[in-house]
Order: sequence, then C-alpha cells, then structure tokens
Amino acid sequence: MKAVLRQSALLLALALLPAAVQALYLRERIPWQSRVAESDLVEVETARAWGANVIWVDARPVDEFERDHVPGAVSLNEDRWSEALPQFLANDWSPEKKIVVYCSAASCNLAEDVARRLRAEAKLPNDIRILKGGWEAWLGKK
Amino acid sequence: MKRIVAILIGGLFIYAGVIKVIDPVEFARDIDNYKMLPWPVGVWLALYLPWLEIFCGLALITRVLYRGSVFIVTGLISLFIIASIVAKARGLDVSCGCFGHASQHLNFSWHLVLDFLLLGGLLLLWKRPAAVA
Repeated sequence: MKAVLRQSALLLALALLPAAVQALYLRERIPWQSRVAESDLVEVETARAWGANVIWVDARPVDEFERDHVPGAVSLNEDRWSEALPQFLANDWSPEKKIVVYCSAASCNLAEDVARRLRAEAKLPNDIRILKGGWEAWLGKK
Repeated sequence: MKRIVAILIGGLFIYAGVIKVIDPVEFARDIDNYKMLPWPVGVWLALYLPWLEIFCGLALITRVLYRGSVFIVTGLISLFIIASIVAKARGLDVSCGCFGHASQHLNFSWHLVLDFLLLGGLLLLWKRPAAVA
C-alpha cells in the first residue's frame, strides 16, 4: 500500500506541472473569479437605458416565455436552436443593435449558453450581453 | 485480459484528458453545473484534472507507476459516480463533460453504466497485483 501511495503522490505532483504551465499561458483568457466575465454582463437599468437599440433574447423554455417576457423579446433557446436561429436572423437581427440575453435568474446558465452560441456559432458581430439576475431582476426593477 | 483492459481504460482516460485540456474553461463550466464547488476551485480543477487523467492513462498503458494510476483512476471514477448521483438527486440536469461535447449525447443512465463498467475493469486490475510492474 505504501508503494501505491508513493506512486499516486508522484502522479498527482507530475500533473501539477503542465497544469501550472497551462494556467500561466491562459491566465488572460480564463475567467478566474466568476463563470461569466463582468464585461459580458449588463444591469437591468443599463439595458433599459439602451432603449430601442437593443434586441432582447429570451433563452428560457418556450412555455415560460409565453407566460410572460420582456416587451419585444424574441424567444431563442437551445431546445429549438436549429429552427429558431434562422428565424431570429431573418426577422429580428440587426447588426447595429446590442443583444441582451436573459434566462430566469442569476443561477441559470441558459442565457450564457445562448450568448456563447450567438458569438461562436452564429458569429454575430453585435455587442452581446447577459442580463444580470435574469428575468427575476427584470421583474424586481419593473 | 488484464493488459487489454488496462490499455482500453488508459486510452479512454488519455482521450478524455486531451479533449478537456483543449478547452479548460468549457470543462470548468461542466464542473460548475454540479453546483458543488465555488467557481474559482472549479477552474483550478479544470486545469488540473485533465492532465492527471492523461498521466494516469499513460501510466496504465506503459505500466510505469501502474498501481498508483489504478488507485487514482478508481478514486476519480468513484467520486464522479457519487457527484453524478448527488446532482441527479438535486434535480440538476448536468452533462458530465467527461468526453467533451460527445458526452452530451449520453443520458444519465448510460453515464452510470459506463462508469460502473470502468469501475469493474479497474477492480479487475486492482485484484491482480502479481501481474503488475
């Protein structure tokens, strides 16, 4: 058992080296403190102040969107991504506008996933933000 | 038989490690989805665990530090099974991210089947110390 523990300790230590090198190499690109970089978030008040210069994207499931949503928001979620994205691009998207994506609350990840896909897959050039606190925050500031 | 199992598990761990090394932030998000650890801890784990998987996989295949790697890999799989069950019990719908986006197509039951198969294979390796280096 002693040999097993010694070997394990060696493996655990060996893995530290490349991990540390990678951490140094990627230090600028890793969001160390929070899952979403602060620069990708927007407060409700700020987004509201942008007025008509914003496209609101609701990343929640359709039934929640249908119950209530930010006025003028478009439903675009991962469940029906392949059908909803072309519709969004054809009917709602504009290159000059900012895009604010929201889901139900601060703890949900749907808005983050949709925002990431809009940047990475749809390759939209817009300023794409995630609403801080989500739908709950919007209701709170109503 | 034991040699084949060691190579299969080793290869699987190298594959799983390499996929996650390429995008550690994505893996950090997968860890964060379990809602068990603070984000900064998850980030450090996301940077560290893939390399540990690669080293353990190499050790299983080359038989250098073999028993240590069987020990660690068994621990990792056991921890992962517990974390998956706890997440499921808490109603979290998580993709483990074990094999990058490929694992998103596996549902919870298949993840568990795969994990228990791996655990069975590892116990087989663990039980026969006479054949190890």
